[in-house]
Amino acid sequence: MTPFLKNMFVVARRDFLAIVATPTFLLFLLAPLFMIGMGLAGGMGASQLADSARGAGRIVVVADATDAEALRDADTRLRAAMPREPATLVVRIATPAADPVAITKEKGSDTYAVMSGPLDAPRIVEREPESASGRYLSLLAGEVIRARAAGDLPAVAPRFESLSRGGNSIALQQSLGFGAVFAIFLLTLLLAGQTVSSLAEEKGNKVIEILAAAVPLESVFLGKLLGFLGVAILFIAFWIVMAFAGGFVAAAQMDPAMLDATGRAGKAAAALSSMPATGWGFFLGIGFVYFILSFLLLGAVFLGVGAQAATVREIQMLSLPITIFQVGMFSLSAAAASAPGSGLATFAQIFPFSSPLAMAARAATDEAKSVHLLALGWQALWVALVIFISVRLFRAGVLSGRSDWRFWRRKKGA
Amino acid sequence: MTDLAVEALGLTKYFETYKAVDQVSLQVPAGSIYGVLGPNGAGKTTSLRMTLGIIDPDAGSSRLLGGHKPQSVRHRIGYLPEERGLYPGMKAREAIAFMGALRGLDWSEGRRRATTFMTELGLERVIDSKIRKMSKGMAQMIQLIGSIVHAPDLIVLDEPFSGLDPVNQERLEMLVKRERDRGATVLFSTHVMAHAERLCDRLAIIARSQRRFEGTVDDARALLPMQVRYTPRQGSDTAAVAALLPAGAEPKGEAWHFAIEDQDVEPLLARITASGLGVTGLSISRPALHDAFVHIVRQVDAGFTADASEDAIEEASA
Repeated sequence: MTPFLKNMFVVARRDFLAIVATPTFLLFLLAPLFMIGMGLAGGMGASQLADSARGAGRIVVVADATDAEALRDADTRLRAAMPREPATLVVRIATPAADPVAITKEKGSDTYAVMSGPLDAPRIVEREPESASGRYLSLLAGEVIRARAAGDLPAVAPRFESLSRGGNSIALQQSLGFGAVFAIFLLTLLLAGQTVSSLAEEKGNKVIEILAAAVPLESVFLGKLLGFLGVAILFIAFWIVMAFAGGFVAAAQMDPAMLDATGRAGKAAAALSSMPATGWGFFLGIGFVYFILSFLLLGAVFLGVGAQAATVREIQMLSLPITIFQVGMFSLSAAAASAPGSGLATFAQIFPFSSPLAMAARAATDEAKSVHLLALGWQALWVALVIFISVRLFRAGVLSGRSDWRFWRRKKGA
Repeated sequence: MTDLAVEALGLTKYFETYKAVDQVSLQVPAGSIYGVLGPNGAGKTTSLRMTLGIIDPDAGSSRLLGGHKPQSVRHRIGYLPEERGLYPGMKAREAIAFMGALRGLDWSEGRRRATTFMTELGLERVIDSKIRKMSKGMAQMIQLIGSIVHAPDLIVLDEPFSGLDPVNQERLEMLVKRERDRGATVLFSTHVMAHAERLCDRLAIIARSQRRFEGTVDDARALLPMQVRYTPRQGSDTAAVAALLPAGAEPKGEAWHFAIEDQDVEPLLARITASGLGVTGLSISRPALHDAFVHIVRQVDAGFTADASEDAIEEASA
């Protein structure tokens, strides 16, 4: 190992241990629990509202006993074929007292439409004119009449063929790309921003001069980035393990038949059954590498900018532009993910700070793999360039003891 | 020709329009203890930082340990900065091992040497204490050990004695001499003359951003005439004594105080003997380094004030 790398790892080791071996790190590590808790609470509230809204809505048919069974059968056949599931059907046996208008005003439920009278000329009372519920009730009446007129027909025996293995949905692949962009952005937003204050400790306790005298500043900056990257990877690894453990526990508690049914019916399963263009193994692997590059790139910028700050207040003030910059890179990459092959996508893939996000999205929709090697080299070059510039600015200003010097308000020297 | 451990030539540094260091050169022989003396704000720290390549000079150059650029021999240098710095959350032994590791020393070897050094210096009870729990002086000793734990060839200490109690100052002096005896070169800055006088093989005095003197302690002391204290026989005629002694001799009680050049000592003794005024007390001594330092700095200040006045006159007349 070269002395440069050795020095870098000495600094990284110190920073990593200084962060991890504190009680505060536990809070940092478990912080997503708060996020998950809040999300669950909000989600449960929204779900309850949706459930109550679903349970309260209905459509009603007031029919003779002879028609009631035929209407239920027709509802079973038609409901599954509707693009939007109609409200729950309630069938009431006709009595002289049954008043459709009164039924629409009954408390405890929203009644969207009520059908009564003979099926060939039904009376449909609906809350909104030309509502989908009213049209559905009309359709039901027609279906019953048509079925009766047709008599007994042989059952249709369709043969379904799935394309889930033969061809991938472009929309799903783009969704995977967007998912990669969002995941990398979120992790970088949560984890890389911390580097902005990473040199504050050394500047505060004057260790920076010892470091500057002992090792190249480039290895100090890179070592600090690596230390923080180590913390970030530990954080991600912890939550991946937690997620898998949680998944296993949940699977062990669940009925196998129900699990199978859920697995086949869920939208997530549909997305997972759609293969990224480069394959799952490559996609996940390169996604992780792009996260590292995104972390290093943005972390290097934040580290360099933060190194120029003289006070904690200045560091706090820098947080907002830093977050906005990250959101900007996310927006650019998200737009690129939704338009693969466009000029915007190419720009996002080349622009160094959005490149990791946009290239991760590309891995979902474009099967070419060698281009990723080029992109990684390009991004690594920019990490080195940002570090180089940051160190030069740091040496020229902060280390020379010029307390009034900032690169954003540089004065001319003598 | 003596090998030079440090060869800094014409170092110059501006901070905005202020010339903090002006053409300062330092030639430190290998294996010696070299002091950089000067009043506060003279430019000592900036000169040392440029010498070590921590900051870049606006002019001049620095070569260390046989003509190498400072950056290429970092691992052979130990440095104690003026502003002490340690990670407060680190334990003492780890802090020392960390500083050694930065210079390429293996962590475990660093810990072993840290234990040895701390035991020798009576600090064994704080080996596993965190820095934040230590006194300032103790932390300073830890940092000092950290700067020499990797057995460097060149040790640069910026104001190493400030903040230390007399016992630790004595330990530090012992440590500096031991490192020199090991073969290391020690370059340190101070404005406390007693340490420089006891330790330095050679020294430079910096005042008002420039080097004003370079030589041995004796060379510095020789800048001032010998100090004489003469007490004639009781009842001697004051006028006769005054006539015998050089101009400027002042009576203080029964003794007369005056300064003479080296070559005038023997003629003076001959005159006293011949005069018959007798000798009750006579001491002839070189002035201390402190006096030489004050003399040099005052001369510089006087010249600076004179220059400033001339500038003011010129500006006014312009």
